[in-house]
Amino acid sequence: MQHFHKKNILTGLLILVFVWSLFSVQWRADLFHSGGQSTFLHILLGLIQPDLSTDILQLAIVSSWRTLTYAVAGMSLALIVAFVVGILASGILTKGKTQRTAIVGFFRGLLGFMRAIHELVWAWLFVAAVGLSPFAAVFAIAIPYGGILGRIFADMLNDVPAAPINALKACGSSRWQLLMYGYIPHAAADMLSYTMYRFECAIRSSAIMSFVGLGGLGYQIQLSLEDLKYDEVWTFMFFLLGMVIVVDLWSQQLRKRLVA
Amino acid sequence: MTQSAKKLRRPFRFGFVKFSFLIALLLILSSWIFIFWVEEADFLGLFSEKNRDHTKNFLSNMAGIGVENPAFLDAEKWKQALWLTYETLQMSVMAIGFATMAMLLTVVPAARNAADGTLTVTKKWYGWLVYGVIRFLYVLSRAVPELIWAMMIIFIFKPGILPGAIALALHNFGILGKLCAEVIEDLDMRPIRSLASSGAGKVQLLVYGIIPEVMPKFISYILYRWEVIIRTTIVVGFVGAGGLGMEFKLSMSWFHYTDMTLFLICYVMLVWMVDFLSEKLRKAMR
Repeated sequence: MQHFHKKNILTGLLILVFVWSLFSVQWRADLFHSGGQSTFLHILLGLIQPDLSTDILQLAIVSSWRTLTYAVAGMSLALIVAFVVGILASGILTKGKTQRTAIVGFFRGLLGFMRAIHELVWAWLFVAAVGLSPFAAVFAIAIPYGGILGRIFADMLNDVPAAPINALKACGSSRWQLLMYGYIPHAAADMLSYTMYRFECAIRSSAIMSFVGLGGLGYQIQLSLEDLKYDEVWTFMFFLLGMVIVVDLWSQQLRKRLVA
Repeated sequence: MTQSAKKLRRPFRFGFVKFSFLIALLLILSSWIFIFWVEEADFLGLFSEKNRDHTKNFLSNMAGIGVENPAFLDAEKWKQALWLTYETLQMSVMAIGFATMAMLLTVVPAARNAADGTLTVTKKWYGWLVYGVIRFLYVLSRAVPELIWAMMIIFIFKPGILPGAIALALHNFGILGKLCAEVIEDLDMRPIRSLASSGAGKVQLLVYGIIPEVMPKFISYILYRWEVIIRTTIVVGFVGAGGLGMEFKLSMSWFHYTDMTLFLICYVMLVWMVDFLSEKLRKAMR
């Protein structure tokens, strides 16, 4: 009963915080642009009747491919970073208490810094530094995603049950063997399914790299929006939707086979 | 004998997992090939003299070297930036609030076990139809990134906190919906069935059977999405949806480098604060 009570208080508190946030907006009719409502209808109309002419479809396929390549390239780098730094940050390769605290602290901090800044901010920093290059997009995805994946990998490695690890230790395995035969096989399925989820996110992130001037689906969406061609906007959106659905289905199938 | 028996039991199959692995490798390879050869991106060119100068200039500008009165040493600027941080926090809370409300309204029919009738122990003909429609809405809203929602919303609303919050809410509605529908699908059905068989009505099933089971998980997902939202507030601000991001973008356009540093400091502080808060709340919820 006591426990239940505490949870209710917290839920109430969260609702109160939400109500507080509502006071930051002055709720008047002039929140809308003067033509806002009709624009809304136009956007809805585009959703029902997307532009399916061949030019637009071709453009959509090419820009989808570009978006996909940036996402894949970024993810492949992020995976390498996450794997190396994640294993170091989990502290399973270290010996001795002081060494462990130092190494784990340093690498966890590094991962925290990498993921604290949003990928678009990274992209903007890279574009400001090296100009418009696909590498700006790839690195901008690789750094924050490496940070997130690394942190999750480290947590997963730490959550591996102790019994099989102790059994390996009792057989005299080295730390390296512990990692290869104990930790990684145990965590692999979870790691893979999380990676697939992040890949889906990477596609979205790569689509918005257009905002700093890099090509891809987002760029086309932005152009069409500026021309007020909402039907084209939705065509590109449906391509984005399609890629996300495909990756989602793929990861579902994989998870079913690996986790079960 | 045992050798051949083993072989018989586990024949080599070109299974789905191997196939996926191959596809993934192919994708990675072709992506890098595309970037290097088709886009002709110059990797070594990244480290040219010119770029190094650019980077150095840029970083020293950000650090305010040789700048009179950099923004992050100015009390007035700090006051403005902290106010924006406060607004950004409000925007994020509003966004997660909207997303939660929309999710709670739709999540029960979006669960597979509600659609096929095992959850409520009564089957309705429209169950699968409603399920399909809501699931499509979830996928659509989560497939479109916040920034693109914001670009569209800004055509409808005037710049401010509200359009940003709505854009963030639209994207997170889909994600929360998916996550929370899965929570309902993974429910332990036995207590609910026993409630139903002892004559509990629909509302009673919801209040005594479902809500107590799912609420802690829902709240931990909501808090987790809140952490993500706070990181994204700066990005929806870029297109004019208020908060820190909007001012960040403005100072970017005016080349006010030290202002940008100040906003970035506030942003990172806000992210860390929210991470800390949400972790504490999640522990308290458990």
